[in-house]
Amino acid sequence: MAPDTEIFFEHASLGRPLAWSTGLHVGFAVLVVFSAWILPNHRGEGWGAGGGGEAIGVALVSNIPLPAPQAPTENVLANDSKGLSKSQPQQQEQEPDAIPIPDKQTKIKPKPVVSASKQAKPAPEPETNEVPYGQGGPVSGPYGSFNAAGAKGGFGFTGGGGDFGTRFAWYVRVVQQKVSENWLKYEIDPRIQTANRVYVVFDVTRSGQPSNVQVEQSSGVPSLDQSAVRAIQRIDTFGPLPPDYSGSKVSVEFWFDYKR
Amino acid sequence: MIFGACGEQRYMLNLSEYRNTIYMNESMINKTRDFALSRFSSCTFFLLVLLIGLGPIPCAAQDWIRTGTGLGVDKVRIAVPDFKPGTPDPKNADLQKVFDATLFSDLDNAGIFDLVSKSFYPLDVPGSPTEVHFDAWSNPPVTASMLVFGDLGVTGANVTVHGWLYDLKNSASPQVLGKQYTDQATTDAARTIAHRFANEIIFRLGGGIAGIAESKIYFVSERSGHKEIWVMDYDGANQHAVTHLGTISLSPRISPDGSRLAFSSLTKTSWEIKMYSIDLNRLVSFPSFGGTNLSPSWGPDGTKLAFSSSRGGDPNIFTMDATGGNLHRLTSGKGPDVSPTWNRKTGAQLAFVSGRTGLPQVYTMEADGTNIQRVTDQGYAVSPSWSPNGQFLALAWFRKYGPGAPGANDIYLMDIASKQWVQLTHDGGRNDFPSWSPDGRHIVFQSSRSGSEQIWSMLADGTKLQQLTFSGRNSQPNWSWK
Repeated sequence: MAPDTEIFFEHASLGRPLAWSTGLHVGFAVLVVFSAWILPNHRGEGWGAGGGGEAIGVALVSNIPLPAPQAPTENVLANDSKGLSKSQPQQQEQEPDAIPIPDKQTKIKPKPVVSASKQAKPAPEPETNEVPYGQGGPVSGPYGSFNAAGAKGGFGFTGGGGDFGTRFAWYVRVVQQKVSENWLKYEIDPRIQTANRVYVVFDVTRSGQPSNVQVEQSSGVPSLDQSAVRAIQRIDTFGPLPPDYSGSKVSVEFWFDYKR
Repeated sequence: MIFGACGEQRYMLNLSEYRNTIYMNESMINKTRDFALSRFSSCTFFLLVLLIGLGPIPCAAQDWIRTGTGLGVDKVRIAVPDFKPGTPDPKNADLQKVFDATLFSDLDNAGIFDLVSKSFYPLDVPGSPTEVHFDAWSNPPVTASMLVFGDLGVTGANVTVHGWLYDLKNSASPQVLGKQYTDQATTDAARTIAHRFANEIIFRLGGGIAGIAESKIYFVSERSGHKEIWVMDYDGANQHAVTHLGTISLSPRISPDGSRLAFSSLTKTSWEIKMYSIDLNRLVSFPSFGGTNLSPSWGPDGTKLAFSSSRGGDPNIFTMDATGGNLHRLTSGKGPDVSPTWNRKTGAQLAFVSGRTGLPQVYTMEADGTNIQRVTDQGYAVSPSWSPNGQFLALAWFRKYGPGAPGANDIYLMDIASKQWVQLTHDGGRNDFPSWSPDGRHIVFQSSRSGSEQIWSMLADGTKLQQLTFSGRNSQPNWSWK
């Protein structure tokens, strides 16, 4: 067996491949680093723009006599706006420090105590139009809050990723009204005085029919859950979805608060 | 970026975190150069490139709305200024007056709007979308949420109306409805256009229930000296006689498609069911059954009629085809059974009045005559009328009946499933023969509150009472199905 073991003593010289490997790695790293300077840096800027290369530049024509598509609502979740429901404190302008002219006898005057009334007023608290999560704003509240400052914030929460609530608030109102009308409270166990909120989800199809009615979060009172589901099922139609709306359905989350 | 259109709204908070992550990564691309210089971390660089290269996966856009009860559902506050003249034609003024009045009253009668009084309106009224000043209409004193406006112009023999419905609180995309109508330049046409436009508005804002502005009410009137069948618009306008039989005709019932009118009429020998074609404007032949035949009622599909016939002795409920054939008896036994009415939603049940226990009471049964159940517990209950959504019966009821008993003959509403009832009319003489409007929001009935029997209408909650007829004695109204 001695001749077989002999191969372990034949040391292949690793030096040359290792040198090649190291050299190439280093070279590649250097290439990567210096490519940032060497190559023209226009990555990202040309995306979607007209011109460049042999492609034909395309610009939007503004005067086609067709109804303009509705601009989608700006996403309120990832933009730079600061407060959605609270106003920001006012920034105080800082005056540059004045250098006092040196004098012989500078009397050290006691600094006048700035009275509390003269101090910079804190930013006024916003009116109590803050929209709590899921409760409101333009969708579920009265119509009044659309143009208000906080309305946008209300929408991010209520309207989801789409902007159905903003554009078709009148339809949302119809849904709310019809479900409220068709909720028969006498179906609920008369011994129940108050119960947790029950959340029901359903879809409204293009033609306005409710479908896929489900209890999303039970109130713990079966008869209340049942009456909520029945309220939706009792409705034949909410009316066709607005013709301007491109989606095939709208999903509605509806909650029912019960208190005898 | 396509992230804005990405769905999965039910986990919006998570989604926002995800978005923020992506946005951060994007900004990092620009800093890659420094990043690579400082760390030689080409591995991270490639990872980033890979991440950006994969890109977002677009998913189906789906909208969510969240709402609930107990948030104070008020009626929509709507402003309906007079339409502007669209052309300088002198005939505009007359048509416009009719149009404006009709549109305003249609929306006012709909029962789902809170109409702002015209005295609150700003002086400059819009005639086209460019002239709308949102603040002027949405701020006090108008404080409207919706605005109806447009123009009306006569050119030659035709009148053209442009009408818009605007959501005032949504200045970004305010238009809910935009319509154009052209018809002959007559006041009748102007009224029709106003009805149609009002119906469109009610359809949109009323949850897909068609408006009733073009519906008719058939009724019995004595003003010609005989009890004949008359018809009028739902608001009481345009009253005219349908039949001229010179005898006594009662209980008119219009078919669901509006083409035929069934009623009972006194012939030389007995009371028989008669059929009148609205399309042909004449009586069409219909079999005689013998005995006293009263109170026909159309099934919701228009192929069947139920009525009361005494051909076998006591009056019983029968059904037959719309042609008068295929007669079936549904009830039997002692006591008269009259005034059948079908469940208008399903056509699977009938309600009727029976005197089998003494005073008349309202019963329900299946369409084959089984499962007879009494729904009124006491008093004297007659004239049931099943609501279009199948949920309610309207009926005329003396809750306490007898000499010296308190109360009067009033219209009641009963929820059939729960047998709960509510009284709709109060202290207003004798009220009888309720009939539902096609939208299920109104009830027309006969009342003697004005001194003589007249036709009145009200919202189905008993409010907004309105007298529709004023001359002669008018009774037994029946609202058309559409």
